[in-house]
Amino acid sequence: MTVLLHEEFVVTRGDYKNAGSVSSAIKDKLRTIGIDAKILRRISIACYEAEINMLIHAWGGLITMDVSDDGTVRFVFKDPGPGIPDLDDAMTPGFSTASDDAREMGFGAGMGLPNIRKVSDDFDIQSSPEGTTITLGFHL
Amino acid sequence: MKESVVAYTLSKCVKCMKCIRACPVSAISMENNRIIVNHERCTNCGKCIEACHNQGLVAQGSTLVDIANYDYTVCLVPPALSSVCQSRENAEDLFNAVKLLGFDEVIDLSPYYAKVLQESMAYRPVQKPAIVSMCPVINRLVKTKYQILIDHLIPMNYPAETAAREIREAYAARGNVGIFNLCECPSRLSHAKYPYGNTGSEIDHALSIADIFPMIRTNLGKGRIPVTFCRDGFAAMDAAMLSEHDKVLAADGYDKVENVLDLAEFGRLKEFDLLYLFPCFNGCSGGQLLIGNSYLNHLNLQKLVRESSAETKQIDDRYLWRDGFMAEEDQRSFTEKMSFFSKVNEVLEQLPGYDCSACGMRTCRIMAEEIVNGNRSLGDCHILNSGTREETK
Ligand code: SF4
Ligand code: SF4
Repeated sequence: MTVLLHEEFVVTRGDYKNAGSVSSAIKDKLRTIGIDAKILRRISIACYEAEINMLIHAWGGLITMDVSDDGTVRFVFKDPGPGIPDLDDAMTPGFSTASDDAREMGFGAGMGLPNIRKVSDDFDIQSSPEGTTITLGFHL
Repeated sequence: MKESVVAYTLSKCVKCMKCIRACPVSAISMENNRIIVNHERCTNCGKCIEACHNQGLVAQGSTLVDIANYDYTVCLVPPALSSVCQSRENAEDLFNAVKLLGFDEVIDLSPYYAKVLQESMAYRPVQKPAIVSMCPVINRLVKTKYQILIDHLIPMNYPAETAAREIREAYAARGNVGIFNLCECPSRLSHAKYPYGNTGSEIDHALSIADIFPMIRTNLGKGRIPVTFCRDGFAAMDAAMLSEHDKVLAADGYDKVENVLDLAEFGRLKEFDLLYLFPCFNGCSGGQLLIGNSYLNHLNLQKLVRESSAETKQIDDRYLWRDGFMAEEDQRSFTEKMSFFSKVNEVLEQLPGYDCSACGMRTCRIMAEEIVNGNRSLGDCHILNSGTREETK
């Protein structure tokens, strides 16, 4: 398996104004390649939710995307903390710990992680106070 | 090959490339010193026409001479044209002036616009939010760029199309009936002239209001035809009025519309039932082929709403609904797509990345694609040729 395309994107802490801009860039890139709309829909939803999570729950982070010749797209969302205290709670639909300012801006309905798991083909999450890493896979 | 109403006149073009830069979907390029419109990509938004100050690009409609070819002629008048009138009396004068152009009958489209609004409100989509199908630009944009949202489009005919279908059947006994449509923007003009999608159009001739208005004007003040405007027909064209409805997100202006479509693709607008989108600022009363100022038209619209009737017209479902929308599918395999993309990226590395359009392509990426396709070469890049890039580095 060879990686055909590797891209990295930085999400800046508290930069609500540009919320979703990385997901837009990812979507545009995959659209330019010509990825099927049905899969692009799932990727877009997952990336957006994960990007917003980094913005409101974590201190920003790094998103990497790898498109491989076997027809998979893999995303890694890595943030430097503070980690998710109770993963089981966070994976429950409707559970939310979004701060008030984030809620005021319309974020934090608590559908983030369960939604991401639902739309992705492969899902893995590791979390400690040193940070959270979500790995997602999609089969084209 | 699809066609569009964007017509080019070589002798008027000063080769300023403004149209190329203005096109949001990169549908325009310059080849051999001529502007070429890629009609597969073009959404008929009219941005290029707006950008051209030399009449190099115009929206080309039909002419009135065609009236003579029919036994009976009707002219469809959109509520957007009525919005140039300050009162209902003025509008009735305008309808008479249109009829005097030589039509047997003039038909107001406001009941058909009202129907789109009412049916859209009652529509229960498979995927929320549903996207109202009233503007051809939106439909084209979703079909070509925001393909994720294709299932969200409400499969309804455009108001003028619904009316034309109804008239075609109802007037079958009147011999050869000619259906003309006055159009407020290039996209409506284009739909009627070159319908895309699964079925043709029942509209025979699309007229540009900008072309015809000077003739209409000479007929003003010669009488009146009573019209009962349908209130919802005006409300259906105004983002501000539409936004008063619960669970409706209405937006006007191209950038805003793209923003909303972007969010919808992220699955972020599920709390809304309907997206009512107008690529033109101030909605259809800001249509490019209309005369008058779009702000004033917009005020008139609100006045006309107060002077209109709440009654609605019965319209048969078979005129109103259409088959669903189909995506234009990319037939290439994943390997082909990736290899093309990688080659384009390699070429892109060598281009300056200024997106200056001097080569005749809107962006360096489009240029890189053309180079990979073998239509251009690196030597066609003016910046590389002039060595400017080295100096600025
Ligand atoms: S805007 Fe386009 S068509 Fe108009 S003069 Fe400039 S290059 Fe020619
Ligand atoms: S009408 Fe719009 S989409 Fe078509 S070529 Fe002009 S700017 Fe581009």
